[in-house]
Amino acid sequence: MTKELDPITLQVVGGALHSIAEQMGNVLYRMSYSSIIRESQDLGAGLFDKDYNTLCESDSTPMHIGSLPGYLRGIEQSVPLDAWKDGDCVIHNHPYKGASHSPDIAIVMPVFHEGELVGFSANTAHHVDIGAATPGLIIDVPDMWAEGMLLDGVKLYNEGARNEDMWKYIRDNTRVPGLVMGDLEAQIASAELGVKRFKELLELYQKDIVIQATKQLMDYTEKRMRAEIAKIPDGEYFAEGFLDDDGRNRETTLPIKVCVRVEGDGVEVDVTGSSPQVPTAFNVPFDGSTKVAAFFVFRALLLDTYTSTDDIPANEGSFRPIKVTAPEGCIFNPIAPAAAEARFCQIQRMADLVIKALAPVLPDRCTAGNAATLSFAAYSGVRPSGDYWVFLEVNEAAMGGRPMSDGPDTVEELMRNTRNNPLEDLGMHLPLICDRYEVRDDVPPGAGKFRGGSGVVKSQRYLTPGFMTHESDRHLDPPWGIFGGKEGAVGKLEVHNTKTGETRQEYSKFSGLRTEEGDVISYFSPSGGGYGDPLERDPHKVLDDVLDGFFDVDHAKEAYGVVLKEVDDGYGWALDASATENLRTTMQ
Amino acid sequence: MIRVGVDVGGTFTDIVLEQTKAGKGSDQDVVVTKVPSTPHDQSEGVVKGVLQVCEQAGVKPDDIDVLFHGTTVATNMVIERKGAEVGMLTTKGFRDILHMARHKRPHNFSLQFDVPWQSKPLVKRRNRLSITERLMPPEGTIEVPLDEDEVRQAAELFKKRGLDAVIIGFLFSFLNDAHEQRAKEIVQEVMPDAFVCASSEVVNVIREYERFSSTAMNAYIGPKTALYLRNLEKRLLDNDVNAVVRIMQSNGGISTIANTSERPIGLLLSGPAGGVIGGRWTGEHCDTSNVITIDIGGTSADISVIQNGELRVKNPRDTEVASLPVLVPMIDIDAIGAGGGSIAYVDAGGAFRVGPRSAGATPGPACYGNGGTEPTVTDAQVVLGRLDEEQFLGGDLSIDAKLARKAIETHIAKPLGLDVEEAALGIIRIINNNMALAINANSVAKGVDPRGFTLMGFGGAGPLHSVALGEMISAKDVISPLQPGITAAMGLLVSDLQYEYTRSVVATLNDADDNTFQHLNKVADELRAEAEAQLEADGIDAKDRRFRKVMECRYAGQGFELRADVPDAKLSKSNVQEVIDSFFDVHKQQYGHAFKDQVTEAVTLRVIASAAVDTLRLKDLPKGGETNPSAALLYSRATVFDDVGAADTPRYDRMKLKADDVITGPAMITQHNSTTLVPPGHKATVLGHGDIRIAKS
Repeated sequence: MTKELDPITLQVVGGALHSIAEQMGNVLYRMSYSSIIRESQDLGAGLFDKDYNTLCESDSTPMHIGSLPGYLRGIEQSVPLDAWKDGDCVIHNHPYKGASHSPDIAIVMPVFHEGELVGFSANTAHHVDIGAATPGLIIDVPDMWAEGMLLDGVKLYNEGARNEDMWKYIRDNTRVPGLVMGDLEAQIASAELGVKRFKELLELYQKDIVIQATKQLMDYTEKRMRAEIAKIPDGEYFAEGFLDDDGRNRETTLPIKVCVRVEGDGVEVDVTGSSPQVPTAFNVPFDGSTKVAAFFVFRALLLDTYTSTDDIPANEGSFRPIKVTAPEGCIFNPIAPAAAEARFCQIQRMADLVIKALAPVLPDRCTAGNAATLSFAAYSGVRPSGDYWVFLEVNEAAMGGRPMSDGPDTVEELMRNTRNNPLEDLGMHLPLICDRYEVRDDVPPGAGKFRGGSGVVKSQRYLTPGFMTHESDRHLDPPWGIFGGKEGAVGKLEVHNTKTGETRQEYSKFSGLRTEEGDVISYFSPSGGGYGDPLERDPHKVLDDVLDGFFDVDHAKEAYGVVLKEVDDGYGWALDASATENLRTTMQ
Repeated sequence: MIRVGVDVGGTFTDIVLEQTKAGKGSDQDVVVTKVPSTPHDQSEGVVKGVLQVCEQAGVKPDDIDVLFHGTTVATNMVIERKGAEVGMLTTKGFRDILHMARHKRPHNFSLQFDVPWQSKPLVKRRNRLSITERLMPPEGTIEVPLDEDEVRQAAELFKKRGLDAVIIGFLFSFLNDAHEQRAKEIVQEVMPDAFVCASSEVVNVIREYERFSSTAMNAYIGPKTALYLRNLEKRLLDNDVNAVVRIMQSNGGISTIANTSERPIGLLLSGPAGGVIGGRWTGEHCDTSNVITIDIGGTSADISVIQNGELRVKNPRDTEVASLPVLVPMIDIDAIGAGGGSIAYVDAGGAFRVGPRSAGATPGPACYGNGGTEPTVTDAQVVLGRLDEEQFLGGDLSIDAKLARKAIETHIAKPLGLDVEEAALGIIRIINNNMALAINANSVAKGVDPRGFTLMGFGGAGPLHSVALGEMISAKDVISPLQPGITAAMGLLVSDLQYEYTRSVVATLNDADDNTFQHLNKVADELRAEAEAQLEADGIDAKDRRFRKVMECRYAGQGFELRADVPDAKLSKSNVQEVIDSFFDVHKQQYGHAFKDQVTEAVTLRVIASAAVDTLRLKDLPKGGETNPSAALLYSRATVFDDVGAADTPRYDRMKLKADDVITGPAMITQHNSTTLVPPGHKATVLGHGDIRIAKS
């Protein structure tokens, strides 16, 4: 056992590791081909020791952070530690062996130092199509074999030599080999870089010092997390909500129940009582996703990187005080071979319900109800050449009002943090054109002292016939207001055809929908709930909201008790301070 | 010929005057001075400094021929959000591109984060008006014609609102600028005094958010930048300075006042650019073409890499100012929050940290005695005996070593159970490590091997850190420039006139046909004609004009481009492979991989036009060749180094050193605005013009 490192060496080694992970992530998204990786940065990368402890991880999207050790444990079932050779490269995506979900394929390379296996360089990235039942995404499928290629700890390289048969097999089993193979090349380049940098670090510092530094950094992060949990009064805190449906049985809503048990400096998130597992792909892999969501929400709530100036390393230390309980056979812990690919809406809601449960005791750190959902759209079609095109798009939503500020509008919230795709880049390359991308103006955001964020509206028009699958939720249960704030708005999805002029509403999730030329798919995301009494909102901010078109004069009066008068200054409205004061008095 | 360079920093404005005696090109005098900066109006300090340097040099203000200026005026305007009230006309259905940005939030693990483009927008939502019009990719054909009445009504409304500036940003305008140009004409008819620009003329490239954001930035800083430059010219004229004025640009080139006023967006990184140019120039006359520069100031350090004597330009996907993208060429400079004023502390979890919080100019480090009690990097240097009280800024500023000791003892040494010297060494090691990691991120991470590079540290504190940093990144050796405190101002005098013109082309190269080549060559010719016209307007002789073509390429399907070189001759089937090969090489260098079997796609064509200006030449130092010359020895005093502890360390007066003199470590070489540290086991050699090269002995 190496003795405690001095604080200076600790900072030096910790900084070096962090920089390696960032470089790995950087190479991966810059080199990659599919927009889901290169623009949305739906990826994770890092270094791990032989016991699968995380040494460092890239700060890319929250969903991927903390998921790789599960993959490594899953791989060990096929490739035991003594079966690794220098120059090997393993590919893995098995949802019941640690994967976050099957499209998130991991590439893992071993790191040898002085002839001995010391750890791994690994990354995961979301692949645009792995040959599932429907192009890009799936919802209504019977089991995990309908998810596409299952890669269970397969060696893609043996001691530096590529397994060409395997390579061909993958190429032959995706609808878009041009994207998938290029993305795999980017993953391999990133993992190779990690191997190289890890070896250099081990040459610079002794192996024991590097490992010891990572242990201490994890202890440090754990200590900071425990100190914050300890400040929450012991007790059980509850919250619940429901999901629209499973994508097949439209009449059945799915309950989510969350109990947060705080005891001393530890906490348990228990989802017992939530919906049983469903017969479609709308289930959540337990290790790779359910647990990650619980870890995420406590880190965001208690070690908020915006309000704290200390740079606290993102590592497994922050997970240790958190226990996650989900009964087997529940939607958050399904039993194989249930499909479990479409898992994001559920964990968003679970994370948001943890915030709701704790809001009464964390009023300065919580938010009102967030949109807490996902709009994951798979647009696809077949080109005249016979080749498929598949495009995955993540549509943002909005956040709830907050203790010191309004909820951000049109933004990636909670577990997701991808980037959108430039509309012009899409227009140049796909038979799809965007007709509208704006702040949602058909409903006001949740009123409050700090209002909820406004959602987004995005309309994509098919220029040729194609297919669409949409993974989403929250058309029924609106984001809540808190401490006197009002609820936000639910989402909706419309299909309008420019040729026939017909418009119809669609469910939040659907699979393999046939689309026609001129079909315009318009997604309206939920808007966030309000925080605090709307009558306490600064009247000048209400005026700003009206001038900026977030809501109209009538809503200002009805929801906020703010009276505006017409003026001829080019803007149209000014505050009527005395009328506002009078109205607010009568409304209280 | 008399030329003056003025570099405005946060605290001081540095001025360099260079005089070439008539008839004798090689006989030059260089005079430098410094005045406090005047943040309320930088031109006040500029003029004061110019007059002061004239007096010191014994020349009259109207003798100055050219004045070069690097300024942070535009950047500060953005950071402090003190720009113009801007209106925007945009395509109907897309009012909020600037509000949504790339929809990624700035923090992964935060619920309370700020979204600066929403909370502090450059164009408020109320001033973003939608216009009926529609262009279609991939050709830019008109699906819905421009509604000119709507444009006119919007302009009337902006006029009534009293806006200073208007931008026009239509979707797909990089394919066809007809709608933007027509809308601009209408707005200008209605608002003849407003600053009006269209997105396709500010940056004519694909990707709507980045193009609109750049255009908004240009308009936001436009009116006040133009006003500043007019004031500066007037103030100079009022004081008999009738020199030609040239302004430093973010890309390391210089431009005229007229061009800068029209396209102020090029000015955003004007401040730190001078330092990098100064570093390159120092490298040139030290016969060193591979240099990593680090400019260490009070609160931040700027890092850049010069390879084969060429500045590295940032990938356009990474250029941003105050978290907002700006698609203009900028020197690849990384700034990190590490400097002399960085504060050391022990955090709530017991971790030892230094920076990024800084003591700034007030209260400053504890040793300044201005009320600062928290220990800074400067305090650590004082405790270690690396900054002598009587040498600090040549004795202009008095420091109190006891206050430095006390601050470190109270805040670091006691809580961590270290002695004060250990704690001070720790502060230096951690800050050096932060800087070394940032250097790696800007070098190793981009395929540059530091073992073939010289590290050059400047800014007053640069040469105190450079040897330690050089070791940490495995640099070949280290250079301490002649005047580390004013390297950035010197850089202004050695910059070339430079302009860049770009247009999106979006075409695959491997299978390009004659039509495609014709189009690419036509775009290249048009860009070159624009460049020729600008240089003509600047009065540059045709023989002095230089042009370079680059193509920003990617493998078809990728999202990030890299710069490939384009041959001078017209592009054709016979030479397009040169572009593809150049892209292969740069891809391989950046990512460690490249592909022979993938299709290369051109995205943007860029023409870079430049013209060399007279360069600064330094006098040769008289030859010395002595080791540890006693004539330059000031005194010896205890100084603490890593591993060896306190050692009696001689101080040498840099002004008395001669060419080929050698100083063996441990030693300190002092001058008015800087101290160069030569640790034990190292040897410093004085070069021909007074720069010092330090290497392991």
